[in-house]
Amino acid sequence: MTRNTEGALIVAASVLAAFGVTLVNFAQDRSLDAQTALTFLVFLIAFGGLHLAVRAFAPKATPLLLAPVTALTALGFFQIYRLDLAMGTDRASFQRWWILIAATLASLTLLVFKGTTISILRRYRNITLLISLALILLPNLPTDWGFPLRGLSVNGSRLWVLLDVGFTSFQFQPAELAKLGLVAYVAGYLADHQRALREARRRMGPIAFPEPRQLIPLLVTWGISVLILISQRDLGASLLLFVGFVLLLYAATGTTGYLVAGGFMGLVAGVASYLAFDHVQRRVIAWVAPFEHYENEGFQIAQGLFALGTGSLSGAGPGLGRPDLIPNASTDFIFAAVGEELGFAGTVSVIALFAVTVAVGLGIAFRSRDTFRKLFAAGLSFVLAVQTILIIGGIVRLVPLTGITLPFMSYGGSALVGNMILVALLLRISHEEAP
Amino acid sequence: MPDIILALLRIIFLGLVYLFVWQVARAIGTHLGISLRQSRREGSRVVMIKSETQQGTEVDVQDVTVLGRSPEADVNLDDPYASEFHMRLVAHENGMVLHDLGSTNGTYVNGRRVIAPISLRRGDTIQVGKTVMEVR
Repeated sequence: MTRNTEGALIVAASVLAAFGVTLVNFAQDRSLDAQTALTFLVFLIAFGGLHLAVRAFAPKATPLLLAPVTALTALGFFQIYRLDLAMGTDRASFQRWWILIAATLASLTLLVFKGTTISILRRYRNITLLISLALILLPNLPTDWGFPLRGLSVNGSRLWVLLDVGFTSFQFQPAELAKLGLVAYVAGYLADHQRALREARRRMGPIAFPEPRQLIPLLVTWGISVLILISQRDLGASLLLFVGFVLLLYAATGTTGYLVAGGFMGLVAGVASYLAFDHVQRRVIAWVAPFEHYENEGFQIAQGLFALGTGSLSGAGPGLGRPDLIPNASTDFIFAAVGEELGFAGTVSVIALFAVTVAVGLGIAFRSRDTFRKLFAAGLSFVLAVQTILIIGGIVRLVPLTGITLPFMSYGGSALVGNMILVALLLRISHEEAP
Repeated sequence: MPDIILALLRIIFLGLVYLFVWQVARAIGTHLGISLRQSRREGSRVVMIKSETQQGTEVDVQDVTVLGRSPEADVNLDDPYASEFHMRLVAHENGMVLHDLGSTNGTYVNGRRVIAPISLRRGDTIQVGKTVMEVR
């Protein structure tokens, strides 16, 4: 596929977003208004601009990544707009700004790396780690002090930072950016220690186990994950960090023992946190028996399942369902909202687009010759895949709900910015590894 | 808005989503297809660059191809110095291998006579009698 096809598909996805918005308007007996044109223009400017940035700054990057990402953002956006109409909120216009900001920051990422290589992240990985850890701890700043940068608790999770700039204030989740830095650090660490990690192992039947000494990095990450779980009460980020790390460790060494050891440690942490924290307990109860606890813990999951059931094969139609009955529909449960209005057909297309995005990311990793770039691309793809699986799995009751947002689709600026920069990094890696 | 039109638009919307997914899948297919074909083609084709009657003939080597003067050979060599069954080209994962089949006048790769099976690379020349072929 050429770059031109990519451009055409981005235009097509922009049309899709505008068409979705228009359909919602029609279904709600509203006339054609400025929303249609505005949506089309914002998508065209944001993703078309990013496309041009790729042409200018990373011309050899894969042309397969941006099109599915645009389509996912479009499908999420029209559902956010639809929920606005039902709930009387104004999230779509915020999201439009965030789409523009995220695409700009992604383009800037490409520009920054234009004069250098992505390998500087490997060289300065300790600085990357420090910045990432600082970002993760940022929300633990006090809420009530004079400084314009404050921590914030939302829905019981301490993930937010409030930046007060006089006339207005911004809220963002610094962890969304920190996860990219952490992946870069881990990829750099593993690239430098790959041989030692790979060779030091003992066989135990069919499974190769690493030397106890080599488990230290695994233990450290495990500790950090548990710390996040305790200090910020964020099950999702903690799980994402740990699962992503174990997968990357396995990818770097090919030692199945890491998967076994990681799975065991995850299980121990899971059981312990179930016994210790009521917020984990509530999640598990809602997962095991949502309908028995319909009045309280299970309400959200049950409503999500009702939405998917109501959607049936081809959905109620854009603007014709009641996805607003699901709590947090535009953030955590956007997948269920899409399932209600576009049905099984719509959710399958969403999963297909995610599968393509992750597969292209892993393809970049497979084709990379440099170990760091290979592991970095693999790690970024894992982060996308694990997030998608955790939240979609949570909605269809495959795993406990973890409160991670669906990449590109959910309402939320920080996540969109983080994931678009992730895409920019993948594009940069594929540019550097192009033959 | 009449329900029937709305229902129609709804189906069109889903159709468009799937058309998009299909286009993305097709784009990936062609993208991978091109790179696969290139790596297979690389060094598995022989072009006659000097021949009295067969100038420009291209031979795509798949599996095993025997070249010789005999009409029973896979590829006919119109050269009085070629043997009935002159040589065999065996396709390989990356390129191909040339076996001389005990020809009377010999096969020359890059000017050297072939005594044992030899791997060919892109750009190598094969000479049989007055015919010169190039690996592409």
